[in-house]
Amino acid sequence: MASRALAYCVRSVARSSARLNHGNVLTRSACAPVVSNQRLLSVISCSQRTRWTELVRISGPSVHLCRHYGDLPPLTLESIKERVMYVLKLYDKISPEKLQTSSHFMKDLGLDSLDQVEIIMAMEDEFGFEIPDAEAEKLMTPAEIVQYIADKKDVYE
Amino acid sequence: MAAVYLTHHQKVLRLYKKSLRHIESWCIFRDKYRFYACLLRARFDENKHEKDMVKATIMLKAGEEEFWANQHPQPYLFPDSPGGTSYERYECYKVPEWCLDHWHPSEKAMYPDYFAKREQWKKLRVQSWDRE
Repeated sequence: MASRALAYCVRSVARSSARLNHGNVLTRSACAPVVSNQRLLSVISCSQRTRWTELVRISGPSVHLCRHYGDLPPLTLESIKERVMYVLKLYDKISPEKLQTSSHFMKDLGLDSLDQVEIIMAMEDEFGFEIPDAEAEKLMTPAEIVQYIADKKDVYE
Repeated sequence: MAAVYLTHHQKVLRLYKKSLRHIESWCIFRDKYRFYACLLRARFDENKHEKDMVKATIMLKAGEEEFWANQHPQPYLFPDSPGGTSYERYECYKVPEWCLDHWHPSEKAMYPDYFAKREQWKKLRVQSWDRE
């Protein structure tokens, strides 16, 4: 988009310079939609008749065309693990000292199946997508949760 | 799950999760939701140790009816879940992975690590396919 605006400005400068030069072939070819901005600008700055060349002084090769889309930062296995452990530490029925990635909710931490449902719901809220019940009842350790989320979100496969 | 029929345990857990989500839809402020969630948890906990299955199924049925009566008309659904806004939105753009085999070698050379592992992955799949 920036390149189109730039090309439009260049073309308007070229058109005004063409009116003054009365059919300068170079500036007419500059009106063609070619995305070689550096060449166009050097052509226009060569013509000394127009006053506008001093205004159109953009440094040549720094016009990199790249698009920015709005999205969340990409997930990594590390970041998923960090977030999962953070949420688990905030849960009041788990003591943060005993918590590790391989600690089983029922056997090691002594939690209930209702607690496990609540933990899975907290994970759903954290990551923003739903974990269906059939798969949620099988996730019993933080490592399994991290693995499941990585599978769903395509993180390093 | 292996069997099509749900066990009583699974049904109770699903009712719990559904009712928590609908309470969350009703009580939008987090502290109010937390309060009612704790009340619901206490109700589930006091009947947790019921050994009589007949009574337990009667209580479950009563719970399901109460859920149906108190459900939210437009519960909060996650975008990717069925009924959500973004459900199956990008399905039409997902290309099946056998198309990767039809890439031109110059394109495949752009991702050498992946295509090196891909051969091993396909061999693994051939071996483990019979086991499954």
